[in-house]
Amino acid sequence: MSLLAYGEPAESSETDSPAAEAEPDVLVDFTAMLQRQRQNGDYGGWFGCDSKMQTTQSDQGYYLEQYVLGVLDFSSQYGIDYSISYTAANVIGRPTKFPAYGDYPETFPMRTYGDWWQRAPSATREIQPQNLPKLETHDYVVVYFEEFVVPTEVAIFETFNPGAVVRIWAYGLTKNWTCLWEATESDLSRPPPLDSRRFAPSLKKTTMLTKTLRIDFNHSRLNYYTEIDAIMLCGRTVTKTQNLLAKQQITQHSRTLVSPPPDAIGSTSGDGSGGSISHKLRTLKFQPNCGEDGATKLHEFINNDLSQFLADNCVDGEAAAPQICLTDLPFEILLRILSYLDLKSLFRVGHVSRTFYDISRHPLLYAEISLKPYWDVASSELLCTLARRATMLRKLDLSWCGGFGNVSPTEFKKFLTQRGDNLTHLRLNSCKFLNASCIENVGIVCDNLIELSLRNCATEPPLLNFSCLANLKNLERLDLFQTYFETELLLSMLEGNRKLKHLNLAFCGVSVNMDNVAAHLATYNTQLISLDLWKAHFLSSRGLQSLARLHQLEELDLGWCMREASLGDGLFQLLSNCPKLKKLFLSAVRGTTERDLMHIAALGKNLEQLDLMGILNITHERVYDILVNCPKLQLLDLSFCDNIMDRDFDLLAEWSRQFKVDIKSSRRH
Amino acid sequence: MHSSLSWTSRAISRALRSSFSTLLETATGGGSGAAAKGATKSGATPGSSGAPRPRFVSVVCGFAKDNLRHKYKPGKYGEDSWFKASTASADVMGVADGVGGWRSYGIDPGEFSSFLMRTCERLVQCSHFNPQRPVNLLAYSYCELMEQKKPILGSSTACVLILNRETSTVHTANIGDSGFVVVREGQVVHKSEEQQHYFNTPFQLSLPPPGHGPNVLSDSPESADTMSFPVRDGDVILIATDGVFDNVPEDLMLQVLSEVEGERDPVKLQMTANSLALMARTLSLNSEFLSPFALSARRNNIQARGGKPDDITVVLATVAM
Repeated sequence: MSLLAYGEPAESSETDSPAAEAEPDVLVDFTAMLQRQRQNGDYGGWFGCDSKMQTTQSDQGYYLEQYVLGVLDFSSQYGIDYSISYTAANVIGRPTKFPAYGDYPETFPMRTYGDWWQRAPSATREIQPQNLPKLETHDYVVVYFEEFVVPTEVAIFETFNPGAVVRIWAYGLTKNWTCLWEATESDLSRPPPLDSRRFAPSLKKTTMLTKTLRIDFNHSRLNYYTEIDAIMLCGRTVTKTQNLLAKQQITQHSRTLVSPPPDAIGSTSGDGSGGSISHKLRTLKFQPNCGEDGATKLHEFINNDLSQFLADNCVDGEAAAPQICLTDLPFEILLRILSYLDLKSLFRVGHVSRTFYDISRHPLLYAEISLKPYWDVASSELLCTLARRATMLRKLDLSWCGGFGNVSPTEFKKFLTQRGDNLTHLRLNSCKFLNASCIENVGIVCDNLIELSLRNCATEPPLLNFSCLANLKNLERLDLFQTYFETELLLSMLEGNRKLKHLNLAFCGVSVNMDNVAAHLATYNTQLISLDLWKAHFLSSRGLQSLARLHQLEELDLGWCMREASLGDGLFQLLSNCPKLKKLFLSAVRGTTERDLMHIAALGKNLEQLDLMGILNITHERVYDILVNCPKLQLLDLSFCDNIMDRDFDLLAEWSRQFKVDIKSSRRH
Repeated sequence: MHSSLSWTSRAISRALRSSFSTLLETATGGGSGAAAKGATKSGATPGSSGAPRPRFVSVVCGFAKDNLRHKYKPGKYGEDSWFKASTASADVMGVADGVGGWRSYGIDPGEFSSFLMRTCERLVQCSHFNPQRPVNLLAYSYCELMEQKKPILGSSTACVLILNRETSTVHTANIGDSGFVVVREGQVVHKSEEQQHYFNTPFQLSLPPPGHGPNVLSDSPESADTMSFPVRDGDVILIATDGVFDNVPEDLMLQVLSEVEGERDPVKLQMTANSLALMARTLSLNSEFLSPFALSARRNNIQARGGKPDDITVVLATVAM
């Protein structure tokens, strides 16, 4: 909504009042006024009702501490959704493990930690990276509580590797998200404590009412999985009358107040790549700040040629120079400058003048759009506006958007029909508005797709049923992490997309037989570079042997997917046929034997990441073998290996230093 | 060797898959996983409505077979484990007996049974908990074993009993030789069936270490013996492991249990449970006594005498309406 407001140049002058910046939620002024009124004992007039209200005590509401009642949404979790181990639902209720510190199944860990996944062959690049805040969000969880309160404290019980929380959002009655707290760089530069903690940062003063929180996580600093035991929301309740009045006022407000205060989201992007540029532009002391990446040409121009350019256009030195303004730059240069702006600044720049408005609408600036960092303000209207501008759209990322019905499936379909035919990259991770016909539309319209990412769009019955995506023939990356699909569809897609390089089937449902998928992959998708089968079912040694025919494989995640089967010869074949293998995850593949480990040591010359979590009977001799023979190894996970005893930990630490390998082990603290 | 290995893995897969199918079939209208798991809040207030809402008055007692070596841990007696849980709609109790044979493999047999019971206890608080399907509780709990980072291996018998408050009906699921007895007016009105492959080898849920597949008995949660029956005010329900049933003759047990019919004082109930457990303990160490276990052995042409020393767990409850 806020983004849209910038789209209308006429309103630009009013949206930046400093008072509005301080109070981001419309409700704020109102409830504050309510309280002030009450304290003065003067109830009359303002509400239009007489002064016979309840006593102050009951009117004030009471202070309430509440734990999570339910989980509305999350981006990823370690466990599989039918389980109660390592899943998001574990944040519900009181802490079960706190203040104990350790890796417990009764808590909520997310799927990744550190930057290991970014360093793997399957890593993706963000679309429109300039939109990202300084501390980008990797994962989130949305939880709700029983009662509306004015939040005074949010406490997060972290029982393992704390320190990943970077933002706390609250969803107000006005249907707006407000950031209650945001981590600063200095918060993150401090080394994280190695003990459980009750993390309760001081929140921004607010008087908004909320019972829904969203916690953002950034894993980059984590040494291992972070685990959240519980989340507590403390605050003052509001009485019913007040509540009702508040609602009335909101509807009135929302009718009159077309554009909400501008920095409702601006406050999060801070002074980094986001707001400051437009701020400088506003004050017209423009110093081109093009960001560090790939801006060298522009720098050159400004350093060397700009003065020349200005001099050429000067009649007499000093006097005329100030008359040269930014708009005198060639159109292409301006376009280039604007191309470094994040989306919000781009909309703002359009407020400056007609010229800037025209430039800021140029389709080239909208070839790649990512609304993921603006998930809180993405709406049908915004899509509509973008549809008018983005006539040359290539890459689109709508991940995390439309959580509370802000984006209608119809609008999305309309957008796709208008602008989807040239799309090469489409990411719709955790998009809750998607329905079967949306996906159908993707299949029909976007037939040039190279990348399709539908992470965490799990719904039952499967969103992805037979024939809806069978049209796509050019896919190189398909990400169905935690999304249900029909086996027939997947098999026919694998058959149709021979150029497939990256495939993610993590958490796929129990209806998919991975042996069949593996056989299909081996027949049709020999270009495959990365394959993620985390927690997939029914992969046997036969399936593993099929996978061994994928010679280009660089990354294979078999975590938890061969829990009961023995590996047979599969791992040996895989290692000898796929010499490029850089990342191999065998978490909880309990059938891994000593012989398999010897094969890894003998054949895994290029291995960089190796996960052997929870494998029985690993001796430290085998570990040493692997360390000696895999020179490129960077990560080795030996957590929950029952044979690695406490006395081995010092040895492991020593090896970790000696071989420069990050060795993870579940040492009890 | 190889073919038999892969056969077992397939068999286990099938067992798994079938238990999944039960789960999926009952998780109706669950929606996406996380949202479905909204736990019911603990502050359940039964009896607020007009209809009689039954509840259990329940107590626990037991002994570890080797109670000098075993440190006392809540919810465990040696390799036996138990749990009690309660929600607004149901009271749940259960016992599990870890199969001791795993000790020679370096596996703590108590861990399996204890995990099974603790998981049942947690699952009862989940919103998809179905008070009419105790089998699901066992199946989910069994599946949960495979989701643990820490490998939990072994096998266990299990018996779970759910009192559905809405219908005053008790639903039970039983795998193996643990069991329950319901006593009303001095008579045994319901009793679990003992499930055995052969003498002294009960049905069991198991998760063998990799490579041991072919030699291990593994029964799917599906094979559990299930019963449903209405209960009345005052009914006495005993759930116990084989340490009790193998050592205390039924008539003796009946005599003890019928004394507490209608008893709502947990202290008195506790005394009865204590005496029952102690009775089982004493008889199990008596080498002359012709115990039910010895009788059963004789029926299988094995000459045996005396009690069977074992872990003993007694969960005793009366129905109060």
